[in-house]
Amino acid sequence: MKRQWIFSFVVSVMIASLVLAACVPATPAPPATEEVAQPTTEEQIVQPTEAPSVQPTAEPTAVPPAERKVATFAWTQEPDSLNTWYSDMWFADILQQIWSCWAWQYDDQNLPYPHLVTEIPSMENGGVSEDGLTITMHLRDDIVWSDGTPITSADFVFTYDMVMNEANAVSSQYPYDYLESVEAPDDRTIVMTFAEPFAPWESAFWQGLFPKHVLEPVFEADGTIDQADWNLAPTVGCGPFVFSDWESGSFMRFVKSDNYWLGQPNLDEIFFQFVPDDAAQTAALMAGDADLGTFPPLSDVPALEDAGLKIITQNGGYSEGWFFNFRDMASPAIKDLNVRRAIAMAIDREAIIQDLLLGLTKPAETFWDALAAYGYVPPDIVPWTYDPEEAKRVLEEAGWVDTDGDGIREDANGNKLTITHGTTIREIRQDIQAVAQQQLGEVGIDLQITSNDSDIFFGSYADGAPPAVGDLDIMEWSDSTYFPDPDTDYWLCSQIPSDENPYGYNYFGCDEQLDALFQQQLVTIDSAARTKIIQQITKYTHDQVYWYGLYVDADYWIVSEHLTGVKFSGVTPFYNIMEWDMQ
Amino acid sequence: MTKYIIRRLLQAIPLLFIISLVLFVLMRNTGDPLATMGGRRATRPEDRARLARQLGLDQPIYKQYIYWLIGNDWTKIDLNGDGIAETQGTRQGVLRGEFGFSLLSRGKPALDIIMERLPNTLLLMIPAEVIVLLVSLAVGVYSALRQYTWWDHFITAGSFIGYSMPIFFVALLSMYIFSVDFKRWGLPYLPTVGMFDPQIGKTPSQVALHMVLPIFSMTVITAAGYSRFVRSQMLEVISEDYIRTAHAKGLPYRMVITGHALKNAALPLVTIVGLDVPLLLGGAVVTESIFAWPGMGRLFIDHLSRSDTPVVMGILMIISVAVVLSQLLTDIIYGWLDPRIRYN
Amino acid sequence: MDTTANQSIASLQEETEAPPLTPRQLIWLRFRRHHMAVFGAITLILLLLYSIGGAFIFPETFSNYTDTKLRLQPPSAEHPFGTDTVGRDILARTIYGGQISLLIGLFAVVVETIVGVVIGAIAGYYGGWIDSLLMRFTEAMFNIPQLFLLLVMAKFFGNKIPTLEMFGRTFSGSVIVITVIIGVTSWMYLARIVRANFLSFKEREFVLAAHTIGTSNMSIIFDHIMPNSIAPIVVSATLGVANAILSEAYISFLGLGVQPPTATWGNMLDKAYNYLESAPWLWIFPGTLILLTVLSINFIGDGLRDALDPRTLME
Repeated sequence: MKRQWIFSFVVSVMIASLVLAACVPATPAPPATEEVAQPTTEEQIVQPTEAPSVQPTAEPTAVPPAERKVATFAWTQEPDSLNTWYSDMWFADILQQIWSCWAWQYDDQNLPYPHLVTEIPSMENGGVSEDGLTITMHLRDDIVWSDGTPITSADFVFTYDMVMNEANAVSSQYPYDYLESVEAPDDRTIVMTFAEPFAPWESAFWQGLFPKHVLEPVFEADGTIDQADWNLAPTVGCGPFVFSDWESGSFMRFVKSDNYWLGQPNLDEIFFQFVPDDAAQTAALMAGDADLGTFPPLSDVPALEDAGLKIITQNGGYSEGWFFNFRDMASPAIKDLNVRRAIAMAIDREAIIQDLLLGLTKPAETFWDALAAYGYVPPDIVPWTYDPEEAKRVLEEAGWVDTDGDGIREDANGNKLTITHGTTIREIRQDIQAVAQQQLGEVGIDLQITSNDSDIFFGSYADGAPPAVGDLDIMEWSDSTYFPDPDTDYWLCSQIPSDENPYGYNYFGCDEQLDALFQQQLVTIDSAARTKIIQQITKYTHDQVYWYGLYVDADYWIVSEHLTGVKFSGVTPFYNIMEWDMQ
Repeated sequence: MTKYIIRRLLQAIPLLFIISLVLFVLMRNTGDPLATMGGRRATRPEDRARLARQLGLDQPIYKQYIYWLIGNDWTKIDLNGDGIAETQGTRQGVLRGEFGFSLLSRGKPALDIIMERLPNTLLLMIPAEVIVLLVSLAVGVYSALRQYTWWDHFITAGSFIGYSMPIFFVALLSMYIFSVDFKRWGLPYLPTVGMFDPQIGKTPSQVALHMVLPIFSMTVITAAGYSRFVRSQMLEVISEDYIRTAHAKGLPYRMVITGHALKNAALPLVTIVGLDVPLLLGGAVVTESIFAWPGMGRLFIDHLSRSDTPVVMGILMIISVAVVLSQLLTDIIYGWLDPRIRYN
Repeated sequence: MDTTANQSIASLQEETEAPPLTPRQLIWLRFRRHHMAVFGAITLILLLLYSIGGAFIFPETFSNYTDTKLRLQPPSAEHPFGTDTVGRDILARTIYGGQISLLIGLFAVVVETIVGVVIGAIAGYYGGWIDSLLMRFTEAMFNIPQLFLLLVMAKFFGNKIPTLEMFGRTFSGSVIVITVIIGVTSWMYLARIVRANFLSFKEREFVLAAHTIGTSNMSIIFDHIMPNSIAPIVVSATLGVANAILSEAYISFLGLGVQPPTATWGNMLDKAYNYLESAPWLWIFPGTLILLTVLSINFIGDGLRDALDPRTLME
């Protein structure tokens, strides 16, 4: 009998000790990080017996002089394919500047410069015809594939044919489906013909090239390039580095190319380490095992900076914001402009950014903020400020009064000011929902919040996805235009989903005036005229509160101090990878 | 005996069909694999319609199931959307061993993806099962032989706590103590996540080191449960007459225990271990997620959340087949070990 | 024999002997002897008091009150369990989360018991092709690991049910979804046990007797055979609650369970994974509460199993 009591006592003691053992007060950063002092020896000594290094750098300790410069990048997601037409992953697409080539690339101001072409076609140099229907490109003479074969216009035509061919299940045919034809009058010239002027052409064409001499035989043998080996092992490329090997689950390696027409890069090799999660990435960076990382968890940033790493942000065009629903099935409250204005003034964006995002970004005011440098944001836009008193005043004047004292306003007919808000299940979004619910509650708006897995949330009208069918008054996610072009088709009336058009993705509503402006800018080739139209669109969507920006969803890079010459672009991040060097 | 086996196998076939049908219907109705194919942007309607056609997702569900099962190389499909089926299909179907191509990593056969991960899961599970067996036998027998002593109480209390813990709690706690705290206290510490340290590479010692915490977390819970079972079985067996007879005959204690009691007590454990096979292959989903172990469980979660039907169905069907076979095997072994059981 | 002596002995025995115990009293006595079970019962009652009574101390709005300036604070006097990523008080959230977790555990078992008993009873009683069919179906469900099935179904039903108000609280519709799918994926074991029970009782004389006097099948099933199967059903149901609470914790941990802002012990652990080192109070408190609950229930179940053991009841 007594022994049974001993049981229970033992159990209680064990539980108590478990809890206590785990309750060691946590220090913000384990003291071990102080020991990860700036390494005095060189890391990255992978193959000390290789070919002579490119430049003799001064090494303070005794290491073999002929040592290769290998930069290690920590990747938290492993690419599913290296063929950018088959992959939807950012982690795969941004590798293009390392081993592949675009017709023109973008610098750290997100402005284009010619790469494969001699100059970017424009109306001034005659590359773009007066009516905007024909674009002619001239290729450089010295461009070659990594195996020495010259790059010719035939490769461009072949790429177009493959993307448009029905046997290839490419992710997207944009914007090649706007083309009427692509012709190659000679080896160095490509002529693109459109049925209608297509203003965004510069931002989307020729972002990656297929080597015809490698893939055409595959296509002829298999009838498709979906399963081509080249997609997973592109041994023939056209960038400063060449693909070397890829061990699934472990690493991917690129070595410098001997046939790059712009010369040789400073680095000998880029080694992509696949790390299982963010914590492992942080650990690798702090230990000096990796030289570059992406999107660190914000709570790790102070520790990383203390360890001597630099955090660099670059605008990739994305902003996190609220899309407002003004379709027929939306609640009457959200269709009232006054309510939307009140919402815009009732959210403390600064607090969200300071507290939840550690102040590492800034509020986004319009959907086109990322392109402000191009002049698309008119100066007369008045940013929304956090002013709950003003929000309450606006609501009172619009007739939304709390008559029954429950904290939620009603209109003259007794309808409650209840608004539904939906997003995906990412932690930061759910946190923002909780904060928003509270802040809107303070001005008398009842916010009902839901969240779904992203492949349910972004499903189509045919699948009954909540945004598509119009169940949500406010939808939150991070999106951009066809960056670096200001074009977007989200608000086109023709994109409203319905039974006849089950895949349309205008989940927001049809505003005839706005629709006309969007359609007009698409075919306006003259950039000054187009800028004016975009400015109108920007001001209109801002003042009508069709889109309310929370924060700029920038690209975050963490770079070790050993990497020099590092610059990033928002469009083509590794555009100057040739100039990177290791100390 | 052979007739029994054949009968069981034949009974299993309709079972597998039902399972596959139910799961397929569930899978096709959960989420849209095309939703996230635009990358960071919404998928354009034109692309969505085209991809649905190319990946066979625009067919009515019964056709999709049939194509999944027996392929479509015996019929023509409409690839260019003009309503006329003109291209010969290329898929062979599950019954011929082809699980289709992953919707996520387009171009990679689903079977290849699964087979890449399967060894990693087995690497974790088989040692775990062996350790569980040994530990639970040892602990259970010890506890039974020392019934009502202080040790027995301690072990029983510990077992209860062990199998009442949610696995992620054990995992988090062990990660916290053995990795974080040990590092802080300057003791040799264990790595937290992944299968090996990226900088050092995939060496056997690295993998072994990374296996310790996941296996520990899993065995704690399972062994706690099984040791209770072994203990109660052992207690029953010890009180049987034939044990008393063996003692009376003068057999050494050790021989009585190992030669007679243990064998009989361990038999039911066989059944239970046999039932664990689905876990073996499915991988402990939660454990693999926490420890970022690249196994089948994590593969399942990742591809389920992106609605990659071919891979998910492939995993589920492999597990189902394995379960059916293992149940049969368990029954046969049990029958062979226990002469009292006869199958007709 | 000397009858008077016997009679006096008999009357003596009658006076000194305690009256025979009813089965119910016997069960209670045996349960009480099992000290771990009593410990479990006491702990469970305390936990119930914590979840229900705590609601009177902290209003629900307090548990949802966010203050981003106070995010991730370690335990202190004002916030004994610390705060989470948006500054909500964790103590209050464990109280309200406990309500949901316990509710889900309880109702999932109700679903599971009903389904399992009905299927097992029908299969065991009617036998023949009905039995074959139901048993094949049960096997099919059995063959798929429960967690996988849960995940697929959680995805399928997703957010199809809107929020509802009950007991003075607002719940996210996913609570009902999770409850039902846990119940619907856990009944197989119970069905097997009930079926085995029915199979063995079906041939007993009292059943045959009931048949001959024309008792309806329904009556035989529910009034005659079922009461004899109560013991395994009760034990299975008790342990089922523990299993349901764990299952809810697992799927919430994997992100597919009850969606915020409704807190459950499971989904509080979901977010906490990233803060293993920097904010351990995020996962230690909900985790320990789950452990205590499941442990107590397991103790109680063990005690019940011993107390209700039919072999010893017959002695």
